[in-house]
Amino acid sequence: MQHTRYSFRLLFVIALSALPLGAAPPPKPTPWYLEPVKRPEVPAIAGQSVNPIDAFIAAKLKDQGLKAAGPAAKTTLLRRVYLDLIGIPPTPADLEAFLADTTPGAYEKVVDRLLADKQHGVRYARRWLDVLRYADVDDTMAAASGINYWRDWVITALNEDLPYDKFVRAQLTGYRDGEYTTINENGNRRRALPRPFDLFALGFIARGQVTRDGKDTKELQTAAVETVSTAFMGLTVGCAKCHDHKFDPISRNDYYAMKALFDPLVVKRVRLASEEDTIKYDGAYSDYEKKKAAAEKQVEDLIAPYKAKLFEHLMQMLTPDVQAVFRKQEKQRTAAEEKIADDYHVVFKVMSSGLKEYMPADLLKQYTTLQKASDAIRAPAPLPEFWAVEEDTERAKEPSYILTNGEPDQPEKDKPVEPGFPFEPKGTEFRDGRRETFAEWLVAPENPLFARVAVNRLWGWHFGKGLQPNPSDFGLLGGRPSHPELLDWLASEFVAKGFSMKAINKLIVMSDTYRMSSAADPTVTAQNRAIDPADKMLWQFPLLRLDAETIWDSIFSAAQSLDPKVGGKSFQVAGEEGGRGRGAQGPDAGAKSSDMQRRGIYIQRGYHQSMDVMPNFLLAFDADDGRAPCPERTRTVTAPQSLFLMNDKLVTDASARFAERLRKETNSDIPQAIDLGYRIALARPPSAKEKDAALTYVNADPSQLKGFTWLLFNLDEFSYAR
Amino acid sequence: MHAEYPCGRISRRNALYRFGLLGSAIGSIWAQDSKVAPGAADPQKPPQKAKSVILLFMCGGVSHIDTFDPKDNKFAGKIMDAIGFGDNLAPRKRPVIPCRRTFKNYGESGIPVSDWYPNVGGVIDDIAVVRSFWSHETNHFPAVIETTTAHRGRQFDWPTMGSWISYALGSANQNLPVFVNMGRPSSAVQLSGGFMGATFAATPFQTGETPIRDLNPPADLSVAERNRQMEALAKMNQEFREEYALNSDISARLKAYELAARMQLSAPPLVDFANEPKSVLDLYGIGEKETTDFGRQLLLARRMVEKGVRFIQICHAGGGNGSWDAHVDMATHEPLCRATDKPIAGLIKDLKSRGMLDSTLIVWTTEFGRTPWSQHDDKGRDHNAMGYTSWFAGGGIKGGTVHGATDEVGYKAVENRHYCSDIHATIVNQMGLDYKKMDFQYNGRTFHLIEEGDGPIRQIIA
Repeated sequence: MQHTRYSFRLLFVIALSALPLGAAPPPKPTPWYLEPVKRPEVPAIAGQSVNPIDAFIAAKLKDQGLKAAGPAAKTTLLRRVYLDLIGIPPTPADLEAFLADTTPGAYEKVVDRLLADKQHGVRYARRWLDVLRYADVDDTMAAASGINYWRDWVITALNEDLPYDKFVRAQLTGYRDGEYTTINENGNRRRALPRPFDLFALGFIARGQVTRDGKDTKELQTAAVETVSTAFMGLTVGCAKCHDHKFDPISRNDYYAMKALFDPLVVKRVRLASEEDTIKYDGAYSDYEKKKAAAEKQVEDLIAPYKAKLFEHLMQMLTPDVQAVFRKQEKQRTAAEEKIADDYHVVFKVMSSGLKEYMPADLLKQYTTLQKASDAIRAPAPLPEFWAVEEDTERAKEPSYILTNGEPDQPEKDKPVEPGFPFEPKGTEFRDGRRETFAEWLVAPENPLFARVAVNRLWGWHFGKGLQPNPSDFGLLGGRPSHPELLDWLASEFVAKGFSMKAINKLIVMSDTYRMSSAADPTVTAQNRAIDPADKMLWQFPLLRLDAETIWDSIFSAAQSLDPKVGGKSFQVAGEEGGRGRGAQGPDAGAKSSDMQRRGIYIQRGYHQSMDVMPNFLLAFDADDGRAPCPERTRTVTAPQSLFLMNDKLVTDASARFAERLRKETNSDIPQAIDLGYRIALARPPSAKEKDAALTYVNADPSQLKGFTWLLFNLDEFSYAR
Repeated sequence: MHAEYPCGRISRRNALYRFGLLGSAIGSIWAQDSKVAPGAADPQKPPQKAKSVILLFMCGGVSHIDTFDPKDNKFAGKIMDAIGFGDNLAPRKRPVIPCRRTFKNYGESGIPVSDWYPNVGGVIDDIAVVRSFWSHETNHFPAVIETTTAHRGRQFDWPTMGSWISYALGSANQNLPVFVNMGRPSSAVQLSGGFMGATFAATPFQTGETPIRDLNPPADLSVAERNRQMEALAKMNQEFREEYALNSDISARLKAYELAARMQLSAPPLVDFANEPKSVLDLYGIGEKETTDFGRQLLLARRMVEKGVRFIQICHAGGGNGSWDAHVDMATHEPLCRATDKPIAGLIKDLKSRGMLDSTLIVWTTEFGRTPWSQHDDKGRDHNAMGYTSWFAGGGIKGGTVHGATDEVGYKAVENRHYCSDIHATIVNQMGLDYKKMDFQYNGRTFHLIEEGDGPIRQIIA
């Protein structure tokens, strides 16, 4: 068995020598990210915090002569943690209760409640789905029908705090637990049955099956390699599709070995209907078939003579020998004649337009009527379905090859590859199956990349930036972590806590570091900025622009029209049909929105070569279309964003509803309404100056409150978490 | 080290940071300070003939045989080894179908134009017809990528032509975008800045009262009221802005609102045709049912040229495969020709009478031509990337010229063949840029925006 595997060390030397650095640096044995995670000592730091995170952060600040900002105001912290953990701002009642609770455990109670809230899974699923390249539409995506079941699986998994190893294993294999086989009392081993719900986890891989221009792109495998490696390994293995990775120890062979893990996979449609519904559907379908056949026969009977005439006309375009072939019965043609018939077959593809010229006008009318009647008979709406993947035994027998430039149709037949993966331990046997064996290596507590990459992602979602600056690229170009010890400590803690994501999330948001103010006092700021202007060491909490979905949810929750329902089909934004002068929207992925707005995660997204899929709102606020894994959102500040908030009908309508709410809840008492408006939109009361400005604007006229609520939506602070 | 994601799509973040600009997610509004102008510092660079480009892209594939490349019907019925489109690359037998158009020689140059384009025929002495383009891709989407980005395939996310111009020249008007699109394209690629990033993408414009999405305040809001709102907004933002004065995002937000306000002022007058005399509206066919839509787009294009917009792309009959995709019956070309004929001629006449034609390059093109035969009967035509026609006018182009030729039936380009990227090279050249120096650095690799072809078509340049 030919199994090319380069010595890891040798390859790295080659990689380094390819760097344009002048003198070759001394070879390093192992890149940092492959070093085993060692749980570092928590630095001893004087202070009240018992949270090791604070000790690591404080130690670095001290080292660099930086001074930490003080704690954030209670109001600021509450809005921050709500927007972070559930993506919806606190209500005035939440705010009041928190301000009134002066016990030491008040904040922790809030954190526990938010982590247990169903909307927490919704918020964090959206973050994961960026990384895992969720899309409702991607040209002709096989899995498009029912893809939302995968999205909803992710939401549920996060809400149940499914341990991260199981979270990943389930999406790779369909089995959350590593028990792929069972043995019965007779000693016969057979494939174990996975939990039925984990079928939906396989949407992750099935999503890659895409047809563009009527051609299977064969992207499923390459998409799997590129998404799995960036999302769970923090490696840009994709570079090795065309050439050995220039900077990291990943060869072309590694890439295609990893691709071979997924080569036997095919997508599989799974019907989700109950027995009863299936039987009912069949009845309806038989009915449809009968009616349709009858209607089609009427059309066929009517046109048959004219079809024959058209046939004769078309025959005149052909040479006599070819005509002779077509006059023969299909079964009586020789192989050579059959070839000729095939060649000229298209000439005879009868078009209804051509047919019309041979029909008298009255018959033509009758024909049109009958055809219309036939077209109107439609098959019953399909039963709900989901697309998963399964291993095809025939495909599993075929060898895998390196592909020239990654082109599926250009295998290099002299370069077969065996299934494998980068950094595969020697002597790995793929006994449980290709993906299964890989998954077991990947999610093992000893794998230094697995936990590191995950905790860094979680950290980045709380602080806007990972400890390692490129969450999907831990390689040489990805940069080095700002706090390597903290990263390792968190990674080891993650393993120790049984890969509980909620445990790590809680640990982080409970830290004093997370609870810091985002505006240190001016003297501290001036001193710190001289040393660390980019706040890499976290001497203050970063001011974060909210992502598209959080802005959406904030607007509609203020207007009291946010529908909290979890899961279900995605929807199209009302008023977006042809909104950008670019014509119709993508394939209908669900209902249009109405008065109630569903959360931003459910806005249809994706890509289609000839239709608009992404609504203007998502594009303007930097949401990705899911074509490639998106490791972190860009946060631009642009005029189209301002135009949306200033003039879009969605915002104007929401302003009116928000104003109506204020009028109702305050009996049109303007000072009270202004106060309440601030509490709803920004989770704090207005300052004296702000209240003055608002009072001046409203000018004692309750009808001006909708202008006031518009102002709230357009405030800088509304779009930021401070 | 500045970290990036090698090989994959450039992350938008990196593109924006690279140019030190703030990006617009839907347009090149911000590119006015473009610091990169390849060729600008080059003493050898070609003289700038054109200040603006109007690109007319006919979506779906126009039949050259029925418009600008007449063929003798004596070949009708000839059975040919045809290479079909898409997956159907195996040779098939197909009879050449007759062309049902009549052609007339127009102008002093006597260039023949079909009876579907009489008005364009009337200005043929300002037009250089190139009948010998070819490209690789024979299906719509790949062909649109190839003809608009000058590159095949999806290995890299190539930018569309207008974004190159944004990138190279920047804007001449800081209240308007550099690169504008009107009409529905066949593909989002036609609007995309690709790996250059959203900064250089097209800003979609519409004729009518709302040229840019969300540009106008709600109808029931008075100007005075909006001004009062903006004043109150500044006051209510004040404390927050003072507290975060050092944060670049917050200062950018102020600028974004200012630019939004400037666009609210500068864009509506642009689309307000109230002061255009009736004679001008008539010239573009505005007011006539069939020509109004395209006519308004072309008139708006002229007005944008006057304001310094660099690249105006107008996609005609886009969406899906494009309406010019006449497989079933060539007669479906007729209304499309009628919708575009008068407005195009009007645009050329209007620019000429204003003395603007010399500095405005007009390019009429499509994703491929159509075959001499039909797939079905004898009425429609299939895709044909082996030979097709595009034409140029103004911007230093030699009018009344015919260049290149296809074979006797119009299947393959045979004389003075030009790969589709020669269109790009010609545009770039007339804009005063050296097409060989149109490069983009990305991930430590140099990307040449034009790699194939022979460069500018010298024979049609005055």
